Amino acid sequence: MKFAMKGAVAVATALTLIAPLAAGAQELVMSIGSRGYGGMMERNIEAFEAANPGTSVEWLKVSDVPGDSRKLYVTGLTAKSPTPDVFAIDVIWAGEFAQRGWLEPLNNYLGKDAIAAYNPSFLSAATIDGTVFAAPLYVDGTHLFYRSDLLEKYGIAVPKTWEEVIAASKTVMEGEGNPQLYGFVSMWAKIEGLFMNWLSFTGGNGATFFDADGEVAVNSPESIAATQTMVDMIYKDRIVPDSILTMKPDDARTLFQQGRAVFLMVQDFVYAPLSAADSPVAGKFDFTRNPYFEGHPDAKSTAMGGWLLAVNANSENKEAAAKLVEYFTSYDAQLAAALDENRAPGRTDVYDAPEMADATLLKKLGDDYAVGVVRPSASTGNLYPRVSEVMQTEITNALHREKTVEQALNDAAAEINSILGK
Amino acid sequence: MNRTMNLEQRTALTGIGFVTPTVIVIALILIYPIIQSVVLSFGQSSIDGSEPYRFVGLRHYATLMGDGRFWNALAVTFTFTALSIPLELALGIGLALLMNESFRGKGLARLAVLFPWALPTALNALIWRWMYNSDYGLFNAVALQSGLADRPINFLGDTSLAMASMVVVAVWKTSSFMALIILAGLQSIPRDLFEAGRMDGMTKWQEFTQITLPLLKGPILVALIIRSMDALRTFELPFNLTDGGPVNATESLSLYAYKAIFDFLDFNFGAAVVVVQFLVIFAMSLIYVFALRNKD
Repeated sequence: MKFAMKGAVAVATALTLIAPLAAGAQELVMSIGSRGYGGMMERNIEAFEAANPGTSVEWLKVSDVPGDSRKLYVTGLTAKSPTPDVFAIDVIWAGEFAQRGWLEPLNNYLGKDAIAAYNPSFLSAATIDGTVFAAPLYVDGTHLFYRSDLLEKYGIAVPKTWEEVIAASKTVMEGEGNPQLYGFVSMWAKIEGLFMNWLSFTGGNGATFFDADGEVAVNSPESIAATQTMVDMIYKDRIVPDSILTMKPDDARTLFQQGRAVFLMVQDFVYAPLSAADSPVAGKFDFTRNPYFEGHPDAKSTAMGGWLLAVNANSENKEAAAKLVEYFTSYDAQLAAALDENRAPGRTDVYDAPEMADATLLKKLGDDYAVGVVRPSASTGNLYPRVSEVMQTEITNALHREKTVEQALNDAAAEINSILGK
Repeated sequence: MNRTMNLEQRTALTGIGFVTPTVIVIALILIYPIIQSVVLSFGQSSIDGSEPYRFVGLRHYATLMGDGRFWNALAVTFTFTALSIPLELALGIGLALLMNESFRGKGLARLAVLFPWALPTALNALIWRWMYNSDYGLFNAVALQSGLADRPINFLGDTSLAMASMVVVAVWKTSSFMALIILAGLQSIPRDLFEAGRMDGMTKWQEFTQITLPLLKGPILVALIIRSMDALRTFELPFNLTDGGPVNATESLSLYAYKAIFDFLDFNFGAAVVVVQFLVIFAMSLIYVFALRNKD
């Protein structure tokens, strides 16, 4: 443990030492993972440098595993390192990083029109009291992937509600008679993805994390009923394997890809591997918006994720850095990323571009984001990691039947209130 | 300057000269962080220095005492230690006795026994995580196909099975370490003791309980100290195997401290956890040291 802390300090020191190199000319360092946005980096940097003579941009490639890059940023930012100038942040860090004073407010750099063009629910995750701290780069969210061939075989319409998902699962599982086939799989291990799942379920029943008065409402009747459905899917309906409690996104994706599940609820990144030429389910699946509960057709149930670009509050070239952010999140750059790299734009106006008519996949993704629900990271700020941890623990308690759903969510509400000092 | 320094004094001075650099390095990398942890645990400060260090006394320790998750982590750590150490010891003695016999392929057997110990714990944990997997893991494939189980067993996802599964990995991995130390002890037992015993008509069992075991007490205690300290600060195994889950059924003290520090960025509270852990291990070592002294 102590050595790890020493290591962290060493990394921070190293980052500080690199910094002065970038001070003289307008040299910007931008960090982002290569799986996340690698396809767009070189052309965007070239175009930006051409439009801004005297400014050069270096791409610092960081891990695509959010937990890993977070540690790198936290140690560097803690040491007030001015590098990187621009960095990609996970939507759930925005509130925390802003509150710690690590991000430069962008209102003075980005025009009102640009800000108005961003996806509002996504932007809200990076906005505190009207101040915008990061600009949406690309959005992803959870969707309900389903085996179109199996639904067709049994003459089942694409389910819109959880009740229909459960019924369809039972019909297909009984019809196929294959003990290796499950109805529904997702990421219910004790990870951030579990909390996203829970928000999808409860959001689909009309529940919200905070009520209209800003009070913690995780134990509302709607929330309890939705969570109970998750528990029942495992133990009563038996359409979900016990192993879901240890599944991360890729575990669930693997099962679905092997043809062992009818439904899968995870983020859009699985679309590429599922539709790859050597995928056993290629051409046999499709996706739709996350289900809602009967009687709540307008409920928001797409748990949103995604990445934003932020400017380091200690950057020595804030003006140029903000320009870079503006360029990456501009209409043209986002349209190119959407058309060429299937990156769902963080701006809503790009979806209406005429060129997008052929981008049916992205259009469909965009429809689902319209019913998006974001995690309560903006309002909880630097306490978000704790809030999320409490939710993950208590949801897991309910899913393992260590506690009743009501008890688990009551405990969660009490703990969150105490964390938030209410 | 006293030029009539005698030989003894000069030897002492040379010795001090040789030892000093080591002592300084150890003080810097071992003692300083310990003191720093204690200081952190009694205060409130922000990691970026925006909030200056403020002494808050026992506040973090008071929070700790009322924190169910801390008590759970403490219980998990003790349970893990109490379950894995005796099993490792029993298996270790068995392996050592086996390796002490001469038989064909003895070298190969010793190598095989040492193999799990030689691999990094993180790798071991990943290998076992795959074998435990309930959808495509080895154990479930065998259990299901042989009819031993009619539905997949979720070894790492079941609150009651996860700890047992973790203990199995620990025993598999570290029994060979116990065996190695005990083997060294075995080989230092004079052969003539056994000859004398045989002349007195001792059975093999009597030889083991009355000659081998009493003479192995030293090495066994050494092995126990080292392994208990390891087990009390176990981190890589739960981190890579279960990440402390399901719920918090396998969250050890080290893992809890890690999460407090690196996930919640609460260095002060995390430091308090680390200090308590340090005290627990320190107390455990003292008990062993006294045990060693009395038994000698």
